[in-house]
Amino acid sequence: MELLERLQSRQKQDADLFLHRMLLARQPVTLTGYKSLIDLPHTMMLLQQQAQNAVAEDRPLFALASGIGEYMNDADEQAVIAAISEGNLVVFPDGSDMTFKLTPVNRTLSRSIEAPTTENVLRGSISAFIEDIDTNLGILKKQFISDKLRIQSYWVGTDQRRRAIILYTEGKASSKFNHDLIQKIESNLDKDIPNLQALAHVLGFSKWVLAPGFNTTELPQNAAWALGQGKTVLFLDRFPFAIIMPSVIMDMFAAENDHNFLPIFMFIIRFLRIIGVLSNMLMPGLYVALVSVNPDVLRIELALSIAGSREGVPYPAVFETLLLLVILELTLESSVRLPKTIGPTITMVGGIILGQAVVQAQLVSNVLIIILAATTIASFAVVGFNNAVIIRLPKYLILILSAMYGVLGLFVGMMLVCASLASASVFGIPYLYKWKAREHSDG
Amino acid sequence: MDKSLQVTVMYLLTHVGLIFFMYPTEIIESVPIGHWSPILLGFLFHVTLLGIFTKGLSYFKSQNLIDIFLGAGKAFAVILLVPVTFYFLMEIVIMVRAYSEIIKMIFLENTPIWAIIALLLAVTTMISSLGIETVFRTGLLIAVLFLPIFLLVLSISFQNADWRYVFPLMDERAVSLSYVLSRPFLLSLFAFAGGFTFLGFIQPYIPYKRRSVMGASALLLPLFLISVYVPLLTFGQNTVFELQFPFITAIDTVNITWLMFDRVTMFFMITLICFVLLFFSLVMWKATLLIRRALPFIRPIPAKLLLALALFILCLQIPDFKTVEQLLWWNTFLRLYVTIAIPFITLILGIRHHRKGAVFS
Repeated sequence: MELLERLQSRQKQDADLFLHRMLLARQPVTLTGYKSLIDLPHTMMLLQQQAQNAVAEDRPLFALASGIGEYMNDADEQAVIAAISEGNLVVFPDGSDMTFKLTPVNRTLSRSIEAPTTENVLRGSISAFIEDIDTNLGILKKQFISDKLRIQSYWVGTDQRRRAIILYTEGKASSKFNHDLIQKIESNLDKDIPNLQALAHVLGFSKWVLAPGFNTTELPQNAAWALGQGKTVLFLDRFPFAIIMPSVIMDMFAAENDHNFLPIFMFIIRFLRIIGVLSNMLMPGLYVALVSVNPDVLRIELALSIAGSREGVPYPAVFETLLLLVILELTLESSVRLPKTIGPTITMVGGIILGQAVVQAQLVSNVLIIILAATTIASFAVVGFNNAVIIRLPKYLILILSAMYGVLGLFVGMMLVCASLASASVFGIPYLYKWKAREHSDG
Repeated sequence: MDKSLQVTVMYLLTHVGLIFFMYPTEIIESVPIGHWSPILLGFLFHVTLLGIFTKGLSYFKSQNLIDIFLGAGKAFAVILLVPVTFYFLMEIVIMVRAYSEIIKMIFLENTPIWAIIALLLAVTTMISSLGIETVFRTGLLIAVLFLPIFLLVLSISFQNADWRYVFPLMDERAVSLSYVLSRPFLLSLFAFAGGFTFLGFIQPYIPYKRRSVMGASALLLPLFLISVYVPLLTFGQNTVFELQFPFITAIDTVNITWLMFDRVTMFFMITLICFVLLFFSLVMWKATLLIRRALPFIRPIPAKLLLALALFILCLQIPDFKTVEQLLWWNTFLRLYVTIAIPFITLILGIRHHRKGAVFS
């Protein structure tokens, strides 16, 4: 059989591929699949059982395909390889052209459900999504029990096959948005999606817009909330997050978990987050503007005390600020990837030793240390880790404009950031859109 | 989707940006006593024209001014719209130059004027090139962020007011409206005239309800009154007459002990300048719309960049603030044409269109 021979020659390059001959109810067959994905002894045992049952009931052997597998019509090498990469077992009976694929017993390759790592839950379910897409789907369906939930599954990519699942709630989701999204994905099924950038590219998002087109979350309750609000949730296999689309500005400030507090407390928390984002963007710029361009705006006592703390600092305020901001970014970046045991060391060295030394060596002023510490803290007041990453950027634009034009530059920079946010939209839904679930204020 | 809120906010912001700098000066120059009279007259003028313009526009379902005028004949449209385009461009040049002069004078003494003009034009070009919807959404966001500062300063601006300066309430000149043709009064109309023409251009992109804009215009009256009466009540007529920017100077006298900033004026002014930048973006967008309609082969982004460069060079050609004032005066005639003739023509075309529609149906 030609196909089998070709598979055999393939086996020489791919040690993971197995071709196993066995008797199934006295019928010789060849099984093929990937060792790393299939638990072969268990699968064979089950197959034997099925075959015996079939013989006992006088059914033809291949009827078992209709139970736990399906016939592959006109199976060529490509189709067989695609089927086994998806984790199926392919069966070739001897002396027959028929090929069928079965769902085998899989090896357990994913971790169990654990607590989230990038998002913390104060009050609410602690299970987080894991890499396995079916488990994620299961967790979400347990969290969001509804007969209106619609699920569509796709295989995307050619070099790297990957499963993608789209979920939305019938009746709540904007049908135009879903239609556009699904069409976009269906027309790009041959493109690989190894990461979120590739996803953004497939969905046609602009590279230059600051606003995120989608949000990611590890928490099933957030994904369920998004579904309830009529948003669309996308799962990618081997990606332990739910991707929520479209993203709107309020997602930066509002989380599902807020509803577990008193309403007044919820509004205060959200207001605080808005203040956090604003101060993160504006404080370094304001410092530079007030120190170097418009010192007359400050009350004289304050101006003098800031000038006093800058005494001996040899370069302009903008360099001082940039220097420390870069060190802070480095600290953040290095502590993200460090093992948990070394993280605190970096914090101590970066925060205490460096901070203290840098002031004593008169490289930067005391006031700046305070401002930058507050800035860094404020940048993590937003909801969602990807939002926290994104808002780190605009402050540099504002900082440079402030260094050139003072307070005017600060405000103009803020205007440019606003314009950039205002220009972002996902499939016709602008980023500055007040989402339909009308129970929230839009700040 | 109805976007009346965005349109209303934009309408308010553009006017707020224009009111507080030159308008009080002109009003204070136009009459010595009874300033409410020119303010009210100007406001009535504004509301009447706004009413006529929006009424005229409401006869056409989601068509902009260019389509409406083209409907009456190509030559007709060209003759009527070329001055409008010219007016928009003139307005950007004059205003950018004037505002950069104000910025330099008040808080960026050491920055060269070209750098300020470049900043204003660059921001204007960038925002307008992101599209009209972006301009409006930015307006909404800016309003949420900046209006609190504006309202705070406005509410404390009465700190040093001496209410006796309100009197005398009127004299013959104020009642007889004899100032109507005087230069300061005609100049003061720019605060009423500049803002509302955008309503004629946004229609297919940004639908709105006529009623909400008309309602919002009532909010402007107190602002016009405050802009003149706050400096008047703070300094009195004789002193205020000498000041170049009376309202700004009046705010400068305010002292808030609990605030860490000494000059709240600066934040107030910059807020206003941001509103004005939004207005510039809108005018720039309108101008490019008109130019691209006439010369459709130019792509939008290069068109905007070329236009910005041309405007930048023009701005640099204006030597000083005196010339700016002179240009502003020359532009008054064009402004009167745009603000009076265009609404009336729109109304006439609208009524004609309506009758024709009635005959056909």
